[in-house]
Amino acid sequence: MAGGYTGKILRIDLTNKSVSTLDSEKYQEYGGGHGMGSAIFWDLCEDKTISAFDPKNVITIMASPFSGTLVPAASGRTEVQGIGPQAWPTELFTRSNFGGRFCGHMKWAGWDGIVVEGASDEPVWVDIRNGEVEIKSAEGLWGLDAVEVQEEIWRIVQNGVEKEWREVGQGRTTQRPAVLTIGKAGETKSRAAALIHDAGNGAGQGGFGGVFGAKNLKAISVLGTGAVEIADPKALMDARIWSMDYAVAGHYDEYQPLGMGSMFGGAPASGAAGYAPADQPKSPMGCLGCHKNCRARFQSGASNGSSCVDYFFYHVYDQAAHGSYTQHILDATEALQRYGINSYQAEAALIWLNNLHKAGILGPGLEIDTKLDFTKLGTADFAKQFLDMMANGYDVGEALHEGVAYAAEKWGRYEEDTKTGILPIQVHGYVQHYDARTEVEWGYGSLVGDRDINEHDFNTLVFWAPSVANLFGAQPACSADQLAEIMAEKLTPYNDPMMMDYSDEGIYSESMAKLVAWHRHYTRYYKQSLAMCDWAWGDFFNEYGPEGRGMTGEGEPKFFKAVTGIDQSFEEGMEIGRKIWNLDRAIWILQGRHRDAEVFTDYNYELGAVPGYTTYEVPYVVPMHKDGKWSYESAVGRVLDRDKVEDWKTKFYTLEGWDPATGWPKRETLEELGLGHVADELEAAGKLGA
Amino acid sequence: MADNDIKTGEGQGVSRRQFLIGAGGVGIGALAGGFLVKSFFLPEKVFAVPAAEGYLVVDTKKCAGCASCMLACSLTHNGVGDIALSRIQVQNNVFGGFGAPESIVQEQCRQCPHPYCAEACPTGAMHADASNGYTRTVDQAKCIGCERCIEACPFTPSRVQWNPKKRKAQKCDLCKDTPFMTEEGGIGGQQACVAVCPTHAISFVTDIPVQNDSGYQVNLRDVNGAWALLGMPTQDDGSYAPAASAAAPGAH
Repeated sequence: MAGGYTGKILRIDLTNKSVSTLDSEKYQEYGGGHGMGSAIFWDLCEDKTISAFDPKNVITIMASPFSGTLVPAASGRTEVQGIGPQAWPTELFTRSNFGGRFCGHMKWAGWDGIVVEGASDEPVWVDIRNGEVEIKSAEGLWGLDAVEVQEEIWRIVQNGVEKEWREVGQGRTTQRPAVLTIGKAGETKSRAAALIHDAGNGAGQGGFGGVFGAKNLKAISVLGTGAVEIADPKALMDARIWSMDYAVAGHYDEYQPLGMGSMFGGAPASGAAGYAPADQPKSPMGCLGCHKNCRARFQSGASNGSSCVDYFFYHVYDQAAHGSYTQHILDATEALQRYGINSYQAEAALIWLNNLHKAGILGPGLEIDTKLDFTKLGTADFAKQFLDMMANGYDVGEALHEGVAYAAEKWGRYEEDTKTGILPIQVHGYVQHYDARTEVEWGYGSLVGDRDINEHDFNTLVFWAPSVANLFGAQPACSADQLAEIMAEKLTPYNDPMMMDYSDEGIYSESMAKLVAWHRHYTRYYKQSLAMCDWAWGDFFNEYGPEGRGMTGEGEPKFFKAVTGIDQSFEEGMEIGRKIWNLDRAIWILQGRHRDAEVFTDYNYELGAVPGYTTYEVPYVVPMHKDGKWSYESAVGRVLDRDKVEDWKTKFYTLEGWDPATGWPKRETLEELGLGHVADELEAAGKLGA
Repeated sequence: MADNDIKTGEGQGVSRRQFLIGAGGVGIGALAGGFLVKSFFLPEKVFAVPAAEGYLVVDTKKCAGCASCMLACSLTHNGVGDIALSRIQVQNNVFGGFGAPESIVQEQCRQCPHPYCAEACPTGAMHADASNGYTRTVDQAKCIGCERCIEACPFTPSRVQWNPKKRKAQKCDLCKDTPFMTEEGGIGGQQACVAVCPTHAISFVTDIPVQNDSGYQVNLRDVNGAWALLGMPTQDDGSYAPAASAAAPGAH
């Protein structure tokens, strides 16, 4: 095979407690990661309409050709796929990924990925040391939290030897094994359960922790001592050095704080900075091979490696209760990680419960009875009590154990609370992450997909940078004119500056359909199949780059060629992304997806977007093209027009080569992408676009 | 050869007297660096070689544990992504707190003034490379894979490591032999780990670093105030005050 691949995928059958291998080469055309995972799922999961908790559900845990190499912000992310239990009302084939070093050890152990099938009749864990794979009883591990279990597996695999070189087959290592595990929430099969790895790395969205629990799989440990072959090592080293010029890492000597907007160039610990007690010393913590190292290690050790929403689920309550961020937020986040709960679910649940409490609906002795004492909201003890309820399924957790969408249905509150927006579910049972009314590429991407996209490519440039600048009466580092110019250059094959128009007209335009399509294709390949980190790529605007230009378009193929030896253009990669996106779409269609299901919840059409109403409190200022000029303007108060959203869907489906009446791909579209066999199966199911 | 002559890796004799003069020339740090881990003992017949002219120092309180250094080391020396082949080993307990001694540990060759590894080598493969500032280096052509150098290294884990594919020992050569690096390596050249470290937590120095039992005493956090601007403490106790001591001497 090409450089970057090991050639083998480990296939684990938990029902029969046996292992076998798949040949990676068969799937190499998909790049790795998500693409390989989708193709394997297509081949191995015979009935794609089964429940996520069905033993026949197939879970893929995939590395990429960049895993375990020096490619910046791409070496340490692992992609997880399968049917997830989180989506509502229909469970969907979905994805999540996590950072750390798990995929690196997979590769060094000789595996491009791991496929998990079946379910064990007793709790087990999988011990992988290079080519040796054992399925072992988890009798002594079941019940441990997500930190305890990792430390226990380290002890077992290291056989008590610390620091010294240890023999692993023919190789030697000083390293701890990389462990992917579940906490209590996963053991109890919660739809809100995450997979946890090392400190602070989690695959939360989708609910794969609950799937591990249903398979009686507590953990997978992998320790590798082998090598990832690199086609052109010198070119890879040169490319890495080249990329450092685009990052803070290459500019310490003349470091000045950057304006917002450059994800690749971002600062160390930026994912945790600002959410911790100011007086608590910290250092950055990074995923394997990362140039950015956006997470942090704190003096207390609590919440190490966590970032962003891991804190957002509770930081505002800590601040409100104590006047600033305190040890409470670190301890609350530590508890979240140990229980192994999806932070987005915890965040939405607390927003919702707090709203219901304020409305006099939820509280001791009220309509929704709970022992939670909201006078203690903001303390670590409150957070731990709430998380314990979610993980173990009692009190309000009896419903929330199933996630907020299923809980709302159980309490009979779904329609009302998503209409008033006190439960900010955006679409498909996933809570609003960014506002579909204002930052439409995020909302639309989630609408036509399986989940909250959680892809920040445009988010920082079109929302955070102009909105935060506006708060301080400043200008963003990247002007609206420059943004449109850069995107017109970078967003091939469309190259349309109007893709950056978030005006009232622009959000329903053909150009916005192009932006969403570009985003779907780019992320499916480059970020989820080559596993380039969402917090660094794409790199469009970069203050360190020539004339503000980032690496995207040049960087991705440069690294791909260095590692694999394959001279693949950026545009060719985008086409693979389009292929993967269509394959995923076909799976959702077999699971029941139709145009009619792609509708936002009511509040998006009926209530204006206001700061503080949603999960983030900064008013939306976004790029708009008005009267022939680009500017950043407020979109606060905007509601989505139902008819115009429907018109936009028609434009999007048409652009993608899908039947506008149903949203189903047409045969010619699938065949053009080499997915004729997928068209055959859709046709057999009566779900091929006309 | 006189009784009090000793054989260096380059085949040049150095007398006990010459050794003591040489050690004095590089300062007490040289002695501390080499002998704190084992009792100081200088018999009439002693193995000694000139002090190395370059060292790698790592600031544990700046290191993010990303292992970029390890990936760069194996990439430039061996042409692969393989942290097991990295001459610098970083052990990261991700659950450990900032400043705790075992949270993050970097293990790189100290270029000992008294290189037990070279002393133990029966073939002269492990030697001080005069063409590379007396960096302690394995001559792969002479290595017979007996592992005595690995066992002799006084540090844990051994800074000399086993290459299972070649079945020979290897160690940090300050990037002298890096066929997969465009830039020249070695003393006066580029070190791959230094070049890629995204927090500038590794530095190449020419003076023997100050050290004690816990390792080099290194603070690379107060260069130009950047680290404090990023919200990270510059002092070992977690404070932000400018360091009383400058960054490691000779750092670049």
